[in-house]
Amino acid sequence: MSSKINIYLIKYAINSILRQKYKTFFIVTIFTFLVFLLTSIFFITNSIRYELDSTVDALPQIIVQKIKAGRHYDIDVDKVDEILELSGVSDAVARVWGYYYFENAGVNFSVVGIDKYENQYKNSLQSIVNKFDFEESSDEPFMVVGQGVKEVMNSSYFKEYFNFIKPDGTLKKVNIRGVFDSDTQLESNDMIVMSNETIREIFDIDETKATDIVVKVANPQEVSMVASKIKLMLPDSRIITTQDLKISYQNIFDYKSGVFLALFIVSLFTFFIIIYDKSSGLSSEEKREIGILKAIGWRVDDVLKEKFYESFIISFFSYMLGSTLTFAYVYIFQAPVLREIFVGYSQLKTTFELPFIFDLQTLFLVFFISVPVYVAATIIPSWKVATLEADEVIR
Amino acid sequence: MSKKIFVLLFILVSASVSVYAFTKTASSEPVLVQSGEEKHWCPVCGMNLKMFYKTNHTSKTEDAKHRQYCSIRCLVVDMKKQNIPTESVEVVDAKTEKLIPAHKAFYVVGSKVKGTMSKVSKLAFASKEDALEFIKKHQGKLVDFTTVLKLAQDSLVFDTSMIAKKKKKKIYPMGKKIFYKMCDTHINLAEYKEINELKSALKNDNLCRPLKEKQLQATALYLWEVKRLGDLGDITGKISVQKDEKCPVCGMFTYKYPKWVAQIFYEDAGEQKHYSFDGVKDLMKFYFNPKEWSNDKVTTKKDISKILVTDYYSQVAIDATKAYYVVGSDIYGPMGDELIPFIDEEDAKTFYMDHKGTKVIKFKDITPEEIYKLDE
Repeated sequence: MSSKINIYLIKYAINSILRQKYKTFFIVTIFTFLVFLLTSIFFITNSIRYELDSTVDALPQIIVQKIKAGRHYDIDVDKVDEILELSGVSDAVARVWGYYYFENAGVNFSVVGIDKYENQYKNSLQSIVNKFDFEESSDEPFMVVGQGVKEVMNSSYFKEYFNFIKPDGTLKKVNIRGVFDSDTQLESNDMIVMSNETIREIFDIDETKATDIVVKVANPQEVSMVASKIKLMLPDSRIITTQDLKISYQNIFDYKSGVFLALFIVSLFTFFIIIYDKSSGLSSEEKREIGILKAIGWRVDDVLKEKFYESFIISFFSYMLGSTLTFAYVYIFQAPVLREIFVGYSQLKTTFELPFIFDLQTLFLVFFISVPVYVAATIIPSWKVATLEADEVIR
Repeated sequence: MSKKIFVLLFILVSASVSVYAFTKTASSEPVLVQSGEEKHWCPVCGMNLKMFYKTNHTSKTEDAKHRQYCSIRCLVVDMKKQNIPTESVEVVDAKTEKLIPAHKAFYVVGSKVKGTMSKVSKLAFASKEDALEFIKKHQGKLVDFTTVLKLAQDSLVFDTSMIAKKKKKKIYPMGKKIFYKMCDTHINLAEYKEINELKSALKNDNLCRPLKEKQLQATALYLWEVKRLGDLGDITGKISVQKDEKCPVCGMFTYKYPKWVAQIFYEDAGEQKHYSFDGVKDLMKFYFNPKEWSNDKVTTKKDISKILVTDYYSQVAIDATKAYYVVGSDIYGPMGDELIPFIDEEDAKTFYMDHKGTKVIKFKDITPEEIYKLDE
């Protein structure tokens, strides 16, 4: 078997493609659109799924809030002790945090309090505690701020310290100890971290109260059991688990995936209709061409090779074009229309970027349901014709 | 008319304030009967006596030494250790904040006020009227000292385990961090007879940089209850398995199931080696008949040097022979029905209730029949 590629056959195939301009243009357009649609769907769903998972995983496993008159209320710090008694709970931390409105600049800072000796509930906070020694010169209150906060404060000429206005109208001077790096991966740069005592003073929160309690459960399988026990123990509380969040996200996601599935089926259906149309027979012109080729001495396998090259060039070109367009559409332009299907409703109102994931699996999947099918749909009818006698075809 | 309204308002306001204002902290300088700088703290638990002054009890030991406790719970603990005549016990009157003989006091039990080191609070009053007035505001039941003492003795085990959990999960790790950051680590713990002496030394002899009461307590508890005993109760961490380790019984990769992983250790030419399993069930199959599954290094139970399993709740490595196992629960491991291991019997019982287990067994009671029945 001659494994050498026949250059003349390829040349002929390219010429043949160029000869039938309109037909080629039509096929490339349809094919590209199909590939584009399929890969976009998969890319967007994968990216969103990844984004959601990583966001949810970064949250504490269980958050316990006190609800009073339907609103979030400060919770008793003592409840931490009660929660710690539950089997399966490995740690519980009373968090003190809130938003501070800085009127001069018209912005909100999120202020988070930490206790340096407690186990931190987030890695980012732990790295801050490690980096900025929170106990030296603890007589002077201080804070560590995000880049954005630092800029806002600088523009108001607060370079070394910041004056918080306490609820009673007096000022609380807090020194700026440092700025987080980007590598601490804090979710937002509007964040201020300070000691629990300082934040309690600024917001006038009693020492027996906290904003909420976060609970760590060593075995993720036990989270729902622990959550239900806390609910029984503290009936006036709202329990938020990461699993709940994941499930509710997943529900929305699955529901919306249905829309994509419909799109997917429609486009596949269109594709196979075209294929069916193509494979059900060749036009008389194409038959005549094969007949002439045979008459001037082409063998059956030459004809098939030529047809293979022709169809492969068209389909592969369209495939590459389609997937390149998808990359640009999804990751550079952030999928303008299709993304709205997922993020358009209020359930997922967080703004986020679609993270770049090079999804080889999807690319292969789309390749194998498009290119070989098209190639086969071209070769099989040609083979049927090519096996006939030349005079029979031309006549 | 308006004067009347004012009076009424004033009464209402002052009444509501007093409902919420009950604290156990002494309102003036408390009476401390112990001597030395350590007199500020309870000799049993190390808690600050002033902060829990209204539940304070004092006693006089046979050798005429005065002792003061944060609560009746610590008194009961101390009574077990040494001979304390009940007549010598005195208690702080929650109303007048004066020491009164306990056997004459009226106790209010189970009010809405939180207990000190106990679920149920026990407050004492010199006069019955004060006690009844207190009950009106905070609920509770009027009892005498003998009943209270009995109550405290009965709930001691429960109260201690409740506190132990909190200490283990929260206070010891915190105390450890504080100790290594803020204190002189060359401290000789054998010098101190009781925790309040240690606390006083930490605070007054410059062994630590200035700490708040809560931090001081955490540090003292860590030193007294963990470090002094040689860090025995320290968590050993998770079982670690390599990516290529397969369970010799079922052939599955064990690293995929970190929640269930268990190990059997053996000696091979002086080296410690191990088998890893994806659950206690497979480990037990191996344990009962090592010949069938192992290479020729482990042929009998005697060749096994150590067995580790993963505690379901805390996910740390525990000694399998000391663990309690729950059978028949609705939690499945990678190989289906499992024996779920716990180091703490109470945890095992909780799990048994929560997850519909059929029984809790100890390691030595596990039989091969039981193991193979799980597969049916």
